[in-house]
Amino acid sequence: MLTPFLLLLLLSGPALWLLRPHRWGHAGWLAALSPALVTGWLLTQLGAVGNGQVLTEQRVWSDAFGLALDLRLDGLGLFFGLIVAGIGTAIAVYAGYYFEKNSRLGYFYALLFTFMTSMLGLVWADNLLALFVFWEGTSITSYLLISFKLTDKNALEGARRAFVVTGMGALAMLGGFVLLGQMAGTYSISGLLALPAATLTQHALFTPMLVLVLLGAFTKSAQFPFHFWLPGAMAAPTPASAYLHSATMVKAGVYLLARLHPAFAESPLWFWALFVVGGLTMLVGAVIALRHYDLKAILAYATVSQLGVLVMLLAFNTKVAVTAAVVGILAHALYKGPLFMVAGIVDHATGTRDIRKLAGLARSLPLVGAAAILAGVSMAGIIPTFGFVAKELLLENFFALIEAGQSQLGWIGLVAVVLTGALFVAYSLILLWEAFLRRSSPLKQATVHHAPSTLFVLPVLALTIVGALIPFFFSAIEGALFGSAGSAILGATLEPHLALWHGWTPIFLTSLLAIALGALVFTQREGIRKLFAKAPEFKGQTVFDSAVDALYGVARWSTRTVQGSSFPTQISIPLLAAAGFAAFALRHNFIADLRVDWSAVPTFYEVVLPLLAVVAALAIARAQSRLSAIISLGLVGSVVMLIYVFFSAPDLALTQFLVEVLTLVLLVFVFYRIPNHAYPKPPKHRSLKYLLISLVVGAWGFSMALLAAGEPLAQSISEYFSLNATAAHGGNIVNVILVDFRGFDTLGEISVMVVAALGGYALLRASRLRPVKPDKKYKEPPHA
Amino acid sequence: MPELYLALLDRILTPVLLLLAVIFLLAGHNAPGGGFIAGLVVASAFLMQILARGDAFVRRLIGPYLQPLMGAGLLIAAASSLAGIGRYGQFFEGVWWQLQLGGRAWEFGSPALFDIGVFLVVSTFVTSYLLELSRPAKEGGRK
Repeated sequence: MLTPFLLLLLLSGPALWLLRPHRWGHAGWLAALSPALVTGWLLTQLGAVGNGQVLTEQRVWSDAFGLALDLRLDGLGLFFGLIVAGIGTAIAVYAGYYFEKNSRLGYFYALLFTFMTSMLGLVWADNLLALFVFWEGTSITSYLLISFKLTDKNALEGARRAFVVTGMGALAMLGGFVLLGQMAGTYSISGLLALPAATLTQHALFTPMLVLVLLGAFTKSAQFPFHFWLPGAMAAPTPASAYLHSATMVKAGVYLLARLHPAFAESPLWFWALFVVGGLTMLVGAVIALRHYDLKAILAYATVSQLGVLVMLLAFNTKVAVTAAVVGILAHALYKGPLFMVAGIVDHATGTRDIRKLAGLARSLPLVGAAAILAGVSMAGIIPTFGFVAKELLLENFFALIEAGQSQLGWIGLVAVVLTGALFVAYSLILLWEAFLRRSSPLKQATVHHAPSTLFVLPVLALTIVGALIPFFFSAIEGALFGSAGSAILGATLEPHLALWHGWTPIFLTSLLAIALGALVFTQREGIRKLFAKAPEFKGQTVFDSAVDALYGVARWSTRTVQGSSFPTQISIPLLAAAGFAAFALRHNFIADLRVDWSAVPTFYEVVLPLLAVVAALAIARAQSRLSAIISLGLVGSVVMLIYVFFSAPDLALTQFLVEVLTLVLLVFVFYRIPNHAYPKPPKHRSLKYLLISLVVGAWGFSMALLAAGEPLAQSISEYFSLNATAAHGGNIVNVILVDFRGFDTLGEISVMVVAALGGYALLRASRLRPVKPDKKYKEPPHA
Repeated sequence: MPELYLALLDRILTPVLLLLAVIFLLAGHNAPGGGFIAGLVVASAFLMQILARGDAFVRRLIGPYLQPLMGAGLLIAAASSLAGIGRYGQFFEGVWWQLQLGGRAWEFGSPALFDIGVFLVVSTFVTSYLLELSRPAKEGGRK
């Protein structure tokens, strides 16, 4: 059932586009049908898959290359699938109202559903290469969604940054996958997870492979120092931000780490890389979030921080860490997605996302306010919310570490987590207080001029309510949902026991401490914001931009050197290179290889025709005008044609003749437009240079022809062709080769022709559309 | 104003060239010719027309069909490669059909179809360049 669902989602995007959904008022509900169907089906699988069953599916694509689409639905795939499809359902409804009558709603849906397909494929793929393809699918749709507003320069730059960073990471990851495939002897994920862990971790290539794979995961999940692309991606329409850049796509890296966790988690490199990078990302994201005033920017940096938490948790190979990661993933998706959606509604209703201009929205938009408060309290991690449970587990992980004897590491982690937790509390409070609860804003207050309909808020409320209810039904779902997903990450059975209330434990007291600290930061927020504004910010973006600029510089320099100069230079480079390579290859035994039959007496035309060609070539060089030059050039071509005739190659002769005539006329058409004074004689030294180049190239062509005539280096294929031509129902070997034996080549060639025709068409059109200052010296051609 | 002698020549030459192209296209598999050459011959027939009657006339005549025909040619060529899959399970394997008509066997095969595709692409490719480049340089454009 997995492939049909992927196909359904893939097709529903374009189908919706064709239906022009912006014309009807409530298209979002129709759009939500297919993801809702997938969600419903996944929920029915919760019983079986949650108990440890695994659904597999194989679609063979190319037997010869061993390529097949392998899909596998286990606990982890189901867990992520539910997040992707479930939140996708809410987003589909939400987007219908967000875009209202915008005619690009259909295009948005096409992108959204393509993304959804890629994301589900990513979490269901059981093959490293298939996973990579889906991974790139999410990158491309993300690029298109960020640059959705084509007139916005920020959006285009943000899209480019996001794509280049995640794309480079993905390429590194592909390299890592290939190494991994070679090491394990299989590209099947379940296959390599079934290997004894030591086969991989003890392998000589383990370190480079792991570094490459981690690069892919870290760039995708916006880990420090690659985190900068995520806030830049906020130029995307809010439904895309809420879905891709907080709930699902950025978790692809986390998913990959979780998926490969059983195989790698025992390696110290894995632990330190994830622990350090995740920990740093967590702190950096949390701190930077306080500097910002844009709702979406705050939420974006908070997302960066949360992704850091998840990566850091996956460093550990313990039950409590894995439980904390799984709960954290779902809790985050269920509060951050809605918060982004709230930001979108606020933007929609007031026209701004700057919290300095917002106030009292809880009164003017009560439903939105309710959703924001429910989700915000969860983000702050205040009891009794889902976010609270996630934070308790996070703290428990470090307490367990201290108890296990690794007290240094445990204390460092604990302090970092408490600090981060306090900052989470602080900006949750800032968000709720400043935008929703306080009575007036410091800057000119924005008013609600466009109240959202209840249906617009409904998907947001639904998600927050699901998030709020889950902690009260832990006993019903903890095994099927968290247990089965966690077991897949741990590689061993995990039976979590989650609860809202554990009593007055040290963990709970620490949690209270974080809340108190957060409240303190909240009250002192003005001073702290000023302090942070002064502190230097790590600008990954600046580094990246200057690197890209440098790359462009190199490209411009090489283009200028190789292609920027005049046409003679451009054409001499490949010709001289070819001559040089030939001379290098033949430097030792050129004379020995030469076999010339001096006794043959040349016939009359064998003497006259080359002489004619030589005279014509000299005439080209000495021509005073373009027209005489191209006519002489045509003469050379005609001589070549005559040679074909005498050596009985009628097809070639015919083609040569036709091409000669047509190029001659085309050149005349072109030169007709260029004034003749633009045909200056080159200065003496340059003439000499061209003469030298021509002689070298001529000598090269001559010696090549001589060598080829003297000794057939390899056995000729022409015999095969002439023997088999009749079998191919043809008497004309040239044509049979073109359309039958080498038909695939010809197909490629005519495809190139079509592309060249379109390109040439566009170029010629463009030059005509651009107004050019009229040239007085040029007279209109008489026929025009 | 097109030249008079060209207009006269065009009356005679264009039908001859087009007929020649058809012969090249159909006989090409066994005698000199083929889709590529036939395409070039058709292009030179249009070249004749452009020289004799002006580019605007030819553009009115065939301009709108050039790009669709080019696409159709590519499509036909690509589709003909699939015939082999249907018959022999082999990509690009030539498939031939025989037809008894008028006392002799007529053969038609997927390579011939492929050749027609090549013909369409080549003829429209060259003609579209001829038309674009022969366009008089006014219309506020590059002079």
